[in-house]
Amino acid sequence: MSTTPTIAAPVTHTATTTLNIPLNRVEGDLQIRVEVRDGHVTDAWSSGTMYRGIENVLRGRGALDGLVITPRVCGICNTAHLMAAAKALDALGQVTPPPDAIRVRNLTLMSEHIQSDVRQAILMFMADFANPAYRELPLYEEAVARYAPLKGRSVIEAIRHTKHMLEIVAILGGQWPHSSYMVPGGIASAPCLEDLQQCRHLLRGYRVWYERQILGCTLDRWHAVRSLADLDAWLDECDTHRNSDLGFFIRFAQLIGLDSVGRGHANFLSFGQLDLPAETDVRGFGDDTARLVPAGFARGTQVTEFDQANVAEHIAHSWFEGYEGGKHPFHGVTRPYASGGEGQKYTWAKAPRYDGLPAETGPLAEFVIARHPLFTSMVESDGPNAFARELVRLVRPAALIKPMERWLNEVTPDGTFYTRPKRIEQGQACGLTSATRGALGHWVRIADGKIEQYQIITPTAWNGSPRDSDDVRGPWEEALVGTPVKDPDNPVEVGHVVRSFDPCLVCTVHSIRGPNRHTARIL
Amino acid sequence: MPATLYWMQGGGCGGDSMSLLGAESPDLLELLSALDVEVLWHPSMSNGSPSEHAQLRDRIISGEQELDFLCVEGAVIRGPSGTGMYDVVDGRPRKDLLAQMAHRARHILAIGTCASFGGIGAGCESEACGLQYLRWEKGGFLGADFVSRGGTPVINLPGCPCHCDVITNTLATLADGGLPKLGDYNAPVAWYGILVHQGCTRNEYHEYRVEEQDFGGRGCLFFHMGCHGPLAYGPCNKVLWNRRSSKTRVGVPCFGCTRPDFPQEYPFFETRNIEGIPHQLPDGVDRAHYLAYKGMAAAAAPERLEHRQTRV
Repeated sequence: MSTTPTIAAPVTHTATTTLNIPLNRVEGDLQIRVEVRDGHVTDAWSSGTMYRGIENVLRGRGALDGLVITPRVCGICNTAHLMAAAKALDALGQVTPPPDAIRVRNLTLMSEHIQSDVRQAILMFMADFANPAYRELPLYEEAVARYAPLKGRSVIEAIRHTKHMLEIVAILGGQWPHSSYMVPGGIASAPCLEDLQQCRHLLRGYRVWYERQILGCTLDRWHAVRSLADLDAWLDECDTHRNSDLGFFIRFAQLIGLDSVGRGHANFLSFGQLDLPAETDVRGFGDDTARLVPAGFARGTQVTEFDQANVAEHIAHSWFEGYEGGKHPFHGVTRPYASGGEGQKYTWAKAPRYDGLPAETGPLAEFVIARHPLFTSMVESDGPNAFARELVRLVRPAALIKPMERWLNEVTPDGTFYTRPKRIEQGQACGLTSATRGALGHWVRIADGKIEQYQIITPTAWNGSPRDSDDVRGPWEEALVGTPVKDPDNPVEVGHVVRSFDPCLVCTVHSIRGPNRHTARIL
Repeated sequence: MPATLYWMQGGGCGGDSMSLLGAESPDLLELLSALDVEVLWHPSMSNGSPSEHAQLRDRIISGEQELDFLCVEGAVIRGPSGTGMYDVVDGRPRKDLLAQMAHRARHILAIGTCASFGGIGAGCESEACGLQYLRWEKGGFLGADFVSRGGTPVINLPGCPCHCDVITNTLATLADGGLPKLGDYNAPVAWYGILVHQGCTRNEYHEYRVEEQDFGGRGCLFFHMGCHGPLAYGPCNKVLWNRRSSKTRVGVPCFGCTRPDFPQEYPFFETRNIEGIPHQLPDGVDRAHYLAYKGMAAAAAPERLEHRQTRV
């Protein structure tokens, strides 16, 4: 799609230099080291620079305590952590929540997604369009007027409207962030007609705003975009499309050649999310019968079935010691080893792998695995890239709003929201779902009614992982290779690539049991 | 000249920033413009390049750039062995940077329980502590005697997360040249002089000792479900969350997240009992009188409460 791609324009440095880039707007602490030669990244290392030790808090605690502690792993993805914790406990308590409890759980997680997608795109990603690196571009002034931090028109709009989605979480779950209202067997609350009515009103308001501000068209018009040709036609159709935040994103991305950077391994992972309740009119994406968003693993667009047994974590390049190769999260070992003396270890993050392979996760992965026609064709023609990743994030709310409306209408007020589980004394289980930025899993073992082991693998653990035992780079490390860097003091291009994964560093924890109570919240 | 604000995130989850984004009347943008406050840096919102940020920090530390408000979210990470190397900025311990900036700031706000008291990581290998407290004990990272250039101790705004109205209101008071009246643990009494229990819509159930032993009911959660409402000072049922509700209103026990000992060491969702009476009674209550009162109250409970007809 590029015409005069700014990112790909020739650059003049010739020597090999190494840049250490502390990257912000990634929800946490991230240091990216890149080797630059002839103005292009030739190698990259992703380093999580904080270790918080949340594991010690979980080990030995009451069986239900994950419902309180794990949302606090992340102020951004807290509802997703609650969902994962509750699903693991459902399994341990051998209970299936009533259909309306599943609907309400889904509604709150979807509310978190559709506000976070817009905040990430406007406040985190497009803030870089207002970077002085682009001051010569014809769209720069407009980008500043829209996306300058705390001042831009679109920034103000996003701050004023996204928070209303979180009121839905508060009505159904008490508060956002850090609710603990999902419990094994369902939810603690029992919404009445008036509660549901308020939620409908909030969702309706958000939909109207999202159609006007972000899309510049109705949800139905957007859903008719099923190919790159459709996308071009949509953009050319009218000024309302071109001037929406989506339209502006596409135009600016074309100008700088955003689709030419950030390819990566082209492996995609989804744990699946949003279980379909019994007797619902909502159909799963890609005709999935169990969930709204299917689980799967894909190399390119070749999708295979997902099995959590294929997940393993490596530590060859992480500040841990104790084993070689990979270990499944139920069997993980975590011994901090902070010396890094050999020069091999460079991060507090472990390297999760699926079937031995690095994989990116997030909305693009989910849409490829669901065989969405537009994003499947984009990946088939160009491979994944920063443009595709950010585009899908901007439009994902369009796919979630209608199922939310249906589920809100299907819930029976003052109905059944809780089924008592069996007492949780022993056993192990995993709770798999998706946070806004991708696959999230909690692996839990309970002994004598207490938490014996609690392992969390977050989406950013996948996307921002370091090299594994075979020295294969993590997804955004790989995606950075080849990225041009015009100004080493202002490497905005590196920011585009990494932020296209919607990094959430605070979330990237490690919570497995280790000897000497050594375990880790990582990054 | 606008007043200046620098927001630092240490060992935390970002939840206080997320809470702040939910503020309304004033929202974050109205607040900054009404008070004439310039945000020099916020890690989730600023778009300056890494080198510009490094220069900004240097100017603040040298005194060239005035700093009126230093907002700290997340605990101070001191591990391993006091080095602070579990949390580094450009290869240096963040805690050293924090110490330098703290001595330049007119006021320091510890936002959230982690920054106030250590929170989730206190007592763990990250050696997390609050700015001026470690759990119940005064001292913390900056020391018991620390006062900022404006003559105040660190102003603690606990809560996991801190409620957005508490953050905006405290900033507004300070920016207007005032000082919030501080109570126990240097937290403003307007927000932390009230129990979470006050304003809970289940109060009548509590009054007549109509109790729940499982999720999903309308009764009181104090006696069996581990609710800390009568034990925790905070505004959750005064200002409500996201302008809508609170945990206790939707049947989730209060976890006492504003308390210096959060997270508690005993299990959540259950109340430690002696003969059916909670181990910890509502703050300041005499056990013998409480036993007598609760016995009589339970006997007087009206049917509409026993049958959970009264809504919450």
